[in-house]
Formats: sequence, C-alpha cells, structure tokens
Amino acid sequence: MKKPIILIVLFLIIGSVLYAYKMYNKPHTDVVTTDAAETVSAEDIFAAFDNDEAAAMLKYADKVIALEGTLLSKDLSNELEPQIVLDGNGYDGYIRCGFKPEMLPKIIALGENNPISIKGICVGMNGSEELDLLADKDVVLSNCTLID
Amino acid sequence: MKKITILTFAILGLGLVAFTNHGGGIYKTNTGNINFFSHTSLEDITADNHKVKTAFDATSGKIQFSALIKDFEFPKALMQEHFNENYMESTKFPKSTFSGTIENMAVVKTTVDGIYTSTVSGKLTIKDVTKDVSTVGKFTVKGGVVNTKATFTINPEDYNIDIPKTVSGKISREIKITVDADYRHAH
Repeated sequence: MKKPIILIVLFLIIGSVLYAYKMYNKPHTDVVTTDAAETVSAEDIFAAFDNDEAAAMLKYADKVIALEGTLLSKDLSNELEPQIVLDGNGYDGYIRCGFKPEMLPKIIALGENNPISIKGICVGMNGSEELDLLADKDVVLSNCTLID
Repeated sequence: MKKITILTFAILGLGLVAFTNHGGGIYKTNTGNINFFSHTSLEDITADNHKVKTAFDATSGKIQFSALIKDFEFPKALMQEHFNENYMESTKFPKSTFSGTIENMAVVKTTVDGIYTSTVSGKLTIKDVTKDVSTVGKFTVKGGVVNTKATFTINPEDYNIDIPKTVSGKISREIKITVDADYRHAH
C-alpha cells in the first residue's frame, strides 16, 4: 500500500518540476506563426488609442495585431531594432513598428508612400501631451513581420 | 543715434555667435535605448527597450523621455510576463516618463564635435509615482548626431513596485538604469 503512494508523490513532484522548468523557459510569442487577434487599419487603431487609451490598451495590448496602412518612412537609426513608420492620422499621429535586426534587408527594400501590411505585438501608445517636446504620438508594435 | 545702431548690431552679433556655438533648436529620436539591470547573488535580470521617445531643447536644456513599459524585452518570456503583470501593472500604467534639465547646456556644443558632460536632473515617473533623480550625462557630438549616455539607480519600492517575499532575493533594491540615445536635429 505504501509503495503506490510514494510512487504517486514522486510522479507529482517530477511532473511539477518539469512543468516549472517548461514555464521558466517558455519562448516569446512567435508573431510569424501566431494568428492575428485583430485586423485593423492604421488609422483605426490610432484613433482608438487617441480617443481612449485605457480602453485601447485593454483591447489591443499584448496581442498580435495585423495592420494595413501607408508606409511614411523607414527609421534605421537604431541597428538593434530597425523600424518603420505608418501614417496614423495624417498629421502628428503615427504607427511605429519595430523589427528584429535580421529583417533589415526586407525593410530596406520597402518603398515609401506605398500601402503596407504588417503583423506585430501591440505595446501601447508613446508620446504625451504633458511633455511638450514629445507631443506627437505613436501607437507602437514590436516583433513585427511583413505580410505578403 | 549712431551709438544705438552700433549697440543693436553688437547685441545681434553676440546673439548670432551664441546661437552658432550652441546650435539651438530641438534634438530628437524615437529610437533611444534604455536598459535596466538587476543583480543579486541568485539571479541577474536585464531588459531592453529600443523605441524610447526622447528630445532636448539645445537652447534651454529641457530634456524629456517617454518609454513604453510593455516595450521592455527580457531574454525570458516568463520574466517579461511577471514584470508587466505582477510588478509594473503595465496595462494600467503603460508609460514611464522623465522631464528635466541638462543643467549646464551652455557647455554642450551640439554643432561642434566633441565630448561634453553635464548634470541632468528632473522628475522620473513610474506607475504614477514621481521622484526627483539626478545623474551625470555624457554627450558625444559627432557629425551632427548627439549621443547621450547616462546611468542612475532606482529602488523599486520608491515607485510602489511590490516585490513578493517569495522572489525578493532575486530582485535587487538597486535597479541600474542605462540610457543611450542618438539625437538628431528635428526639422
């Protein structure tokens, strides 16, 4: 009778350790293989954040979002994360998308002022009306990938 | 009349010289780096953000930063999850900001290649808690780009970041923050 109990306890301990190890080493979300939770236009997601940031955070943050918009410019000033900027509101609102460095050749090949589709993890809206030098706003996506 | 004209030209001339020396205008980047590093005997924790929005006014010395908390990337996904959900509550408090002054802006000549230093001090806001911070910034001007590097430490408890007892041995009370940004003249 004692043996099966010991075996069950041992099994539970080994199971817990394996689970904890797996959780500790779980990989980051792979944007390429993850289906987008939402597909939205650059203008619509910018408007959502600009109108009600708290509500937009609950709706979009931490999720893989597919975006369609117009590529305004490429920002390659930080080699650790090449970035592109999409039009958000036609004025001082943008969508900023960060890519892994290995995506650089594909980013360089992109044509400005062309329509573009991307997928990435939404991390919020940067910029603040309280900081006068940083009043322009960017909805920011990370770990982006291009959708063909 | 002649005296006034000479005086006016002298003042204009001095103003022009001052403007030429200091550059003036706004310098900005949306791709600044902030790293934070926590060291304990049990574990080292590090995370990076490469999309920090920051600008300074080369005339007044005013300097500002805005960083999205969810944009800090950790080597391990689980650490990133805990950081955002348990400690920073980043859906509720999505940004950290700094608003301050480059105290000795006059010595930082943004149009003359060289290395300059100045104390930078101001107010750092994390989780809606604002505290005064001060550090020495190193400004390296090269080819029109102003690189700024600065390091300072913060105590998570000062910003209402609660660390549970079960993991308190793994998270330092002195988190080292390193800022590294390449500013360009904003047109």
